[in-house]
Amino acid sequence: MGHPSSLSPTPKNTHSISAGKQRHHWVERFLDGWAVYRKNTIGRIGMALLGIFALMALASFVPQMVDPMYHPMTGVDPEISHSTGPSMRHWLGTDFIGRDIFSQLLAGARIAFMVGISSALISILFGTTIGMVAGYAGKGTDIWVIVLMIALFRWPGVARVIRSQTLSLKHRPFIEAARVAGASHGRIIFRHILPNVMPLALLYMTFRVTSAIIIEAALAFLGFGDPGSVSWGMMLQWVWKTGHMFQAPYWLLPPGICISLITMAFYMAGRAMDDVLDPRLRKEEIKP
Amino acid sequence: MADTNASPILMMTDVTKVYQSRDSLFGKSSNRVVALDRFSLAVNPGEIFGLVGESGSGKTTASRLIVGLEKPDGGRMQFDGQEIVGLSGRTRREFTKKVQVIFQDPYQSLNAHFSIFDTVCEPLVIHGIGDRAACLVRVCEALETAGLTPPETYLDRYPHQLSGGQRQRVAIARAMVLNPRFLIADEPTSMLDASISFQIFRLLNHLREVFGVAMLFITHSLAAARNLCDRVGVIYRGRLVEEGTAQETIMHPRHPYTKALLDAHPRFGCSRRSGYNALLETERPRPETDHCPFYPRCRLAVDNTCNRRSPSLKTLDAGHRVSCFLF
Repeated sequence: MGHPSSLSPTPKNTHSISAGKQRHHWVERFLDGWAVYRKNTIGRIGMALLGIFALMALASFVPQMVDPMYHPMTGVDPEISHSTGPSMRHWLGTDFIGRDIFSQLLAGARIAFMVGISSALISILFGTTIGMVAGYAGKGTDIWVIVLMIALFRWPGVARVIRSQTLSLKHRPFIEAARVAGASHGRIIFRHILPNVMPLALLYMTFRVTSAIIIEAALAFLGFGDPGSVSWGMMLQWVWKTGHMFQAPYWLLPPGICISLITMAFYMAGRAMDDVLDPRLRKEEIKP
Repeated sequence: MADTNASPILMMTDVTKVYQSRDSLFGKSSNRVVALDRFSLAVNPGEIFGLVGESGSGKTTASRLIVGLEKPDGGRMQFDGQEIVGLSGRTRREFTKKVQVIFQDPYQSLNAHFSIFDTVCEPLVIHGIGDRAACLVRVCEALETAGLTPPETYLDRYPHQLSGGQRQRVAIARAMVLNPRFLIADEPTSMLDASISFQIFRLLNHLREVFGVAMLFITHSLAAARNLCDRVGVIYRGRLVEEGTAQETIMHPRHPYTKALLDAHPRFGCSRRSGYNALLETERPRPETDHCPFYPRCRLAVDNTCNRRSPSLKTLDAGHRVSCFLF
């Protein structure tokens, strides 16, 4: 019979089992997941792009510290009163009143992340939790929870989908097996149902994040944005309104390309997360 | 072998379960299905009791009631002399340690997101038994018991990487990891092919011999029941219609329904028996009054008796019990 010293685990076993003795369970799960994620090329590209945008968002605080004229909103180059092309002084040029486009681009990354992450948090955290609980509790409660959500917030869509997924999951034999083994409701929801709805929730999250970024850009472009802050959509609106659409590609292209790339990066990262969350999608490793 | 003198480990007395479709928004619908009708059953320690019946006869309902996945509408159930209807909290946790289930479909009964280690370890985690190293030892033991050797090679795999037979063995390992005293096997081989089924039967028999687990083996196959079980109960429309030792019940069936079940079995080559021919070709209408549940399909039914009253279990020789007016 099995005895710890008599075990001769395969290389993969050594990783997950013996590591578990030293490291915390969740740390270990994260590292396992990361190992799977790293193998996915699309995921690596997405992660790299997101990393670049995150750096841009962080770096957006730097230019105005270097020189107040680089402030994306209020900093105006005293020597320039019209749009100019890229130069050593202004890496991506200036806009129609002499503000630095590069620093605006950095500030835009910050806004895009705030918009994207907040919508992701709301949809995944609230939508998934509420949907799961409503679906699992069932009977009368779920109707009222849904009604309440429709009345209050924008995330009922996710919750509805997660709820119906939960409804179909909760009578599966593996849930009943857990109940027979004495599992609590909390354990069933978070250990059994959550991993099964996670891929779906994540898919919704990528949709939500990217659509939030694009909607923000579109609204800003149409002039419904916050005039007190710089976002990529706002930059595009300025290009458009000042008639530089076809005169200043150095001004038009960077925010456009950034919007496309960040949405693509979120999709790619989400796609790669599928592999991490669903063991059935992982590539089989051929052991030597 | 079964110790028939000891008091039964599981007793079901007059258990009734009715499924009722929910009232619709406008007016009441009266769609009642009686899944179990005053059903009684006793399983002795260390015994494999086969519950045989066609689809929808209430076999699975009985097992779900025992483990508390459903609540009975009437009757009593006792495990080890302790009432088990409506257990909660601590007593229920103690009960779940002793009674485990092997489900019918190994493709559905394992969580696709759990590795084999996580799956088999889960009951230990739920009951807070042992640290990770101790769990690892017990999981390996359970996998080995279930015939998955060497167990280490299975720990990190996922259900989709295993065959149906291997999955069912994982399910058996999960059921055995807590060393339960009573196992419910709900048609454990209906999704598996014949050779794998035979291996699973052997495994179940091995578990009984080595660990002394009592079993309620639910099946629709009398061949499987005869192969594996000490005693057999035949259930029809939620009623126990015949009960006795496996050998006696299957070789000398008394109840017309048991005979019909035997007739339904395909046989190879020429058979000594020419069949019992107990089944009517066209069903009779179901009488409004109390009646024998098998009356509408029974060729041997006696008018004015079988359609007027409901028979009760009568003991014939050697613990063979039949619920039929013909005896």
